[in-house]
Amino acid sequence: MITRRQFSLGAAGLAGLSAFSMPGRALAERSNQLNILCWEGYNSDTVLNPYRAAHPGATIRAESGTSDPEMINRLRAGEIGTWDLINVNQPWARGELIRDALIRPLNKERFLPWFDKMTPEFAKPYALAFADNGDLLGMPQRYGPFSFVVNTDRISQDSAEEQGWNLFLDPAMKGRYGLLTYDNWNVIHLCLAAGLDPFKPVEGADADRFAETCRQIVAGARLMTDDLVAMNTALINGEIDAYFTGGTYTASPARYDGATFVRAITPRSGPVGGKGGVVWVELTSAVNNPDPSGLAEDFLEFVQKPEICKAVAFSEGTYNPIAQMGNPEVMALFDAEMLEAIQFDSLEAELSRCLEFDVVPSYDALLAAYVAARRG
Amino acid sequence: MQRLESRLGFLSGLPILILLLLAFIMPLFVVAGFAIMPQKVFELTHLPDFSSFAVIWEQGYYRSLLRSLGLAFLTTVILFIVCWPLAYGMAKVFGRFTIVITLAVVLILFVSENIRLFGWSLSLMKGGLIEGYLRSWTGLSFETPLYDWPVIVFGMAYVYFPFMLFPLAQGISLVPDDARLAASDLGASPARILFEIEMPLAAPGIMVGSLLTFVLSAGAVAEAKLLGGRSVVVLTDDVESAFTFAQNWPLGSALSLMLIGIVALLVLVPVSRVNLDAIMGRKR
Repeated sequence: MITRRQFSLGAAGLAGLSAFSMPGRALAERSNQLNILCWEGYNSDTVLNPYRAAHPGATIRAESGTSDPEMINRLRAGEIGTWDLINVNQPWARGELIRDALIRPLNKERFLPWFDKMTPEFAKPYALAFADNGDLLGMPQRYGPFSFVVNTDRISQDSAEEQGWNLFLDPAMKGRYGLLTYDNWNVIHLCLAAGLDPFKPVEGADADRFAETCRQIVAGARLMTDDLVAMNTALINGEIDAYFTGGTYTASPARYDGATFVRAITPRSGPVGGKGGVVWVELTSAVNNPDPSGLAEDFLEFVQKPEICKAVAFSEGTYNPIAQMGNPEVMALFDAEMLEAIQFDSLEAELSRCLEFDVVPSYDALLAAYVAARRG
Repeated sequence: MQRLESRLGFLSGLPILILLLLAFIMPLFVVAGFAIMPQKVFELTHLPDFSSFAVIWEQGYYRSLLRSLGLAFLTTVILFIVCWPLAYGMAKVFGRFTIVITLAVVLILFVSENIRLFGWSLSLMKGGLIEGYLRSWTGLSFETPLYDWPVIVFGMAYVYFPFMLFPLAQGISLVPDDARLAASDLGASPARILFEIEMPLAAPGIMVGSLLTFVLSAGAVAEAKLLGGRSVVVLTDDVESAFTFAQNWPLGSALSLMLIGIVALLVLVPVSRVNLDAIMGRKR
């Protein structure tokens, strides 16, 4: 007969032993484990199940973040030993992750050949996938022009492209547009609307002009939300005619559902070398895990396969162009409806009018001015 | 003997005390530590410079704080007014039917707050469940109430409804029927009975319910985000912005600390005046 005291002692002993044994076991399994922290898409079963099938003994786990900085915070807060791959927009990889040694460079010999199969913009290869010292920070895949979105039944594509950001400063547009509150993007777009280059320091009179533009755009917005579905619905319902901050990423779900009058617009002109649009590019990088998984780089090669490329581009929720569309085998997997959803007809022309989404040097001050305008 | 017992009591409570210290107090110390660090650092090993508090003052974050506290206060008042009649019924009138109401309210809590708020968002948006059907059946339409402060208050009142209802019912059950009847026999009007007999005697329940809803509403995030669409900037929104897009953990921590401090102050003063034993049903 076991007494309660003996049982408690035994249980405590077992708990202690298991605590000691856990790190050892975890270390032993690292080569058979892959943890991916990513935007939605890489965590879908259509992407992960084929990889799981190819690695039956491995545990493959992926988790979708809600924003780039939220994912980066998780690495900073100690999860650097948990994750093997991280998928964020390239300025965050270049501005935060590599600076603070949260990611490690990829093997160039292994990955540079993959750039040859990408679209011309990325095949050069894509300069912003590299650190200043030439290290390869991550592999590009999804991207998209990101400026603003209109209902072309109310405002023609031609007129919206011609007016560019001035559309939102037109008094006639007051109360007819929404503001999609993606803070970091809003700051960039507000700079462009104010006629400023967001990727150079904004100070003095320029900062005042930026603050004034913030106040004007915020005051004229009929609704503000960070929910792209709500914003598209408002656009479809006729509640608004356009929304400030948006692109293929936000318009494509509505377009794929048949609402092709929802269209992402890239201005024809702008304050930075004549360009007024911005393009985002995601990089998937290897986390600087002290105990790295051998599968991390293998998975990065796996997602270059045509059928996986398509699954990443058309994951649940949003649909985006991918750099691998330069490969005819990948292109063959997209039908006309899909290409229409991601505005493939104008993609190349739009890209030529886009600035690369980059690190914003005056970000803190600009964000504070923008949030102050919203705070009222 | 009594000393030995109290020492043994302390010793047996020690493990849970240590657990509570680690799980609840330590994170607060970390937040407090970061709050006094220089801007944009990610370690606690720097020399403190308190610059975050200067930033809070200079950049007008107090406006968000006032807005958060104002919305929380309004939610508390509305909930008190809405819950009082129902709580009264549960404590004094409904009898066995009370269990049905209790179950109905408790069952709602089984569904995650975010999902319930998304449900409201889909119902209230233009072309959503309510306006969409109304337009299709009658041709009538209305503007969406979403993305403004009243809908945030509505969302908080909806989510924190049980936190006011149950303490209030508990408090009202403490009011002796005899006292109310005696007042009535002596000619007191229903309003006078409410304000001079029932509310003072139910004060512990009112206090606990109000404090719970106020504290929870002041720290609420999801309502302002999902229903308010971030069009109204509350302090929790600023905290999230500081920690994420601004990558400024010290500023986020200082803002959190400010909210914790002010709410604690607002809560501790009334709590020190309430006899919590009374509401727990224990007599001294």
